[in-house]
Amino acid sequence: MTQTPPVADAPIQHGAGQPLPWEPVLMTAVGREGGRFLPDYLLRGGYQGLTKAVQEMDPDSVIKEISDSKLLGRGGAGFPTGVKWGGTKRNPGPRHLVVNADESEPGTYGNRYAIDADPHGLLEGMLVCCFAVGIQQAYIYIRGENLYGAEVLEHAIKEAYAAGYIGKNILGKEGFNVDISVTRGAGAYVCGEETALMESLEGRRAQPRIRPPFPIEVGGGLFGRPTVVNNVETLMCVPHILVRGAAWFASIGAPACPGPKLYTISGHVNRPGVYELPMGTTLYDLIYKYAGGMKRNQKVKAVSPGALACQLLPGTDLNVQMDTATLTRPPHWHPPFGPVGFGAGGIIVYGEETDIVQVVARAAGFFARESCGKCVPCREGTHWMQDVLSRIAHGHGRPRDLGILEDVTRNIGGRKTLCALGDFSVNSVASALRLFRPEFEAYCNGHARSSAAGSGVPVAAG
Amino acid sequence: MSLSQAARDRIVNDFIPRYPSKRAALMPSLWLAQEEAGWLGPEVFEEVGELLDLHPTDVASVASFYVMFHRRKIGDRLIEVCENPSCFLNGSDQTYARICDQLGLDSGHGGHGVQTTPDGKFSVRPTECLAACDYAPVVQVDLRFYGPVHGADVDAFLANMEAFSIEGKPSVSMANGPQAVPVDGWEAHAPPAPGSAE
Repeated sequence: MTQTPPVADAPIQHGAGQPLPWEPVLMTAVGREGGRFLPDYLLRGGYQGLTKAVQEMDPDSVIKEISDSKLLGRGGAGFPTGVKWGGTKRNPGPRHLVVNADESEPGTYGNRYAIDADPHGLLEGMLVCCFAVGIQQAYIYIRGENLYGAEVLEHAIKEAYAAGYIGKNILGKEGFNVDISVTRGAGAYVCGEETALMESLEGRRAQPRIRPPFPIEVGGGLFGRPTVVNNVETLMCVPHILVRGAAWFASIGAPACPGPKLYTISGHVNRPGVYELPMGTTLYDLIYKYAGGMKRNQKVKAVSPGALACQLLPGTDLNVQMDTATLTRPPHWHPPFGPVGFGAGGIIVYGEETDIVQVVARAAGFFARESCGKCVPCREGTHWMQDVLSRIAHGHGRPRDLGILEDVTRNIGGRKTLCALGDFSVNSVASALRLFRPEFEAYCNGHARSSAAGSGVPVAAG
Repeated sequence: MSLSQAARDRIVNDFIPRYPSKRAALMPSLWLAQEEAGWLGPEVFEEVGELLDLHPTDVASVASFYVMFHRRKIGDRLIEVCENPSCFLNGSDQTYARICDQLGLDSGHGGHGVQTTPDGKFSVRPTECLAACDYAPVVQVDLRFYGPVHGADVDAFLANMEAFSIEGKPSVSMANGPQAVPVDGWEAHAPPAPGSAE
């Protein structure tokens, strides 16, 4: 790479003492003329990771390098990437790679900018995966709304075919053949769930599959074949790991889940946006140091640390390290619903002036509309939550509604549904009830706040 | 026949060979059909089904799952306003209401259906997160991104949408490059750092 960040010899300390500046790894193309096109990618050291893999390494040592880097999937589940690749490879081919670019979680938008900025970074990560796992056909599934991103990718794929990075006998390696294409979704949040995504890619209604078999197994993946499903950001880390080494990657940020992370922050902050920082940066630093603090200098009331599918953190909990490991273990674990969750690092910050009941009513409406309808707890339960919360948010709540709400959340959440959509649909609701119960009670007793999060317009009854 | 010959050729020669099963060409085929006609009618389901060896009802069933496939005619331009929390906190309700008012539509109708102006020029609906929350409130028009469009910006937006385009623009935070740089003097406005109790 043309830039050599000083990360390896300057270990990151968490919290306010973090050394600065921290050189970005994933977003170096931003601000460069023609940054998203192949010539600039090559100037920035592009396709050197793939070249190294093909010319100096064998597939198994690539998988070992990725495992040693301790790269965890960036899509939300935090599964070790090396383990996923190795597991897929142990199953007989043909195999597939699917890139999950369906990023639709409200408040999460790092993938969109990453694709816009550096599509070849994604393609190179994919090609390394194909080389390591023995895959000849790879698909990018991108959400339908992101037409621009699909166009950027199509163009990059054309460039890469023409330059011989995609196609037959790549980089002169006999038998290393890969085809990559883009498939666009058409507006279904559930496609972010890997098995629903594969159903959609196969031309079906996007309803999750029952596991086992898992995607990496025969019968569980795309077209029934063993399949690696990776997030965009996960794959974009891969070329850098090969070029700079697993030890370099593992030394960045939180030791349990290291590496650079594209945090996206939005809501009541002065400077919302994408911040590339070491995994494990604290919420306090993200909000105040980088995102410029709170609008109108209000206090933080609550935060959705991993966007809408995660539990709310109270505004008093800002010293928390933002990473997969921290937010999925005690004390950030609330039975029976499980971990607060880190998701894909989409942070929504709610200031003091937020009417949390209105926000949660919106969250419930979102999950009710996006439920795929396959399994009962989610299909029925999300609509129950929406109905009750819509009633409360419109000022018609009854004292017994909160009991109904709690009951419904307990009957959806806690691994009772086929996929995480249902399981996580209760997270905002249940955590808001735990943290801000008096506000719900006020609504149910006829003392609703007069304005909805400073907007004054009542929530739409979905 | 509602699908053009060019579209049929593209489905057969470009989409079907991409996948090991014919059925998998359905999503791109439906997109292509919708680009041609603006919506997906019963004839399209039959014609696409014929090319992919699928029953028309099967095709319709898949199309009906996805909110971006329109099964009835909509306006020439489709305006969608995000109403999820990040946009909501930044006033997307006023954006939606003002757009509806300006186009003579009912902003208080509730629900998530499409409303179309009587002259057929515009359709409007609320939508889910568009993944551009740093430009909240975000509006999508015919699959292009615009923001931030506050209620007070709506008149200017409707007069000149391109002025609000964020297609290909970097994130708000990366206007000066990719490096995450602390805001000057941030400590002055921040509450004291919490203790390291973690």
